[in-house]
Amino acid sequence: MKTKKLIRIALILAVAGGILGVGTVLYIFNKPHRDVLATEADYSLTNSQIISEYLENKITADDKYLSADGNSKILEVTGTISKISENYNSNMVILLKEESDKAGVSATFTAETNHKISDLKIGEIITVKGVIRSGASYDDDLELYEHVILEKSDLISQL
Amino acid sequence: MKNKRLFSIALAVLMTASAFSRTGDKLVSSKSHIKFYSHTAMEDIEANNYASVSTLNTKTGDVVFSVPMQGFEFENASMQKHFNQEKFLDTKDHPKGKLVAKIANFDDIDFSNDGVYEVIVEGNLTIKGTTKSLKEKGTVRVKDGIVSIESKFPITLADYGISFAKGKPSTNIAKTVEVTVIGEYTAE
Repeated sequence: MKTKKLIRIALILAVAGGILGVGTVLYIFNKPHRDVLATEADYSLTNSQIISEYLENKITADDKYLSADGNSKILEVTGTISKISENYNSNMVILLKEESDKAGVSATFTAETNHKISDLKIGEIITVKGVIRSGASYDDDLELYEHVILEKSDLISQL
Repeated sequence: MKNKRLFSIALAVLMTASAFSRTGDKLVSSKSHIKFYSHTAMEDIEANNYASVSTLNTKTGDVVFSVPMQGFEFENASMQKHFNQEKFLDTKDHPKGKLVAKIANFDDIDFSNDGVYEVIVEGNLTIKGTTKSLKEKGTVRVKDGIVSIESKFPITLADYGISFAKGKPSTNIAKTVEVTVIGEYTAE
């Protein structure tokens, strides 16, 4: 009788453990992407500040802003709109660049946030939030300064 | 004195003309699409990147793509995390992928008129700090003054130090993946 009870407990524990294990694996595998729009920014700065950080020392800046798992820092960047375009995924792209800077910050919006910038014009000063994908630097092959790239962007405010 | 003045004017005109031609020769694209596609019996995996910068020199046929590796987006968040991590693409230490190539038969292309041209793209592809040569077919389109380039080619992941001996990645990720590269250019 005692053995039967022990077996029953062991079976219940094994099934419970199995369900928990499968549940954990399924949760980890199907975990949704980080919601950049709903997450608070890690840093708030101007486009000129981050460009100067990157052009001064790219390795230090990459170390500060990029994360090994791709969920890199979320930045709030303020600057002047110098270009508005659309990418191949039909999302709006705004370049925040000051005339005196060698590079700017390119912010790609999303299907949910594209409409917020439809009335913006070149020359306006705005603050955007987005996740950094890569930094600014001079590329010898392109023979161009590459911009800081932000994606999953949202409009925070406009002056 | 008059000769000196004429010489100065000629020099100024020449310098201006040369500056314009240099700018005009290099087309820049920030409207791009890079896609990785992996097919196995277990599953198909796709990652898309819309944030690359590219240049195309219409005088030399030089083509460059600079690809921010953290810009690849997967449907599955867990896969995207793995893609970025050290044992996969190590995108923190190698944030950019790069294609530096030349259109071998660029003399065939008339950039001033609409047309579709089959081209051979030859050069080097750098991923995760490893550079390998490639020679692939591509298509250049000229339409209403807009130039675009497209190429689709296979890459073997192990050539770039990306290999999986065991676990799910070894069965679910193809050893050779298909890369699609598209860029649309405007004058700089």
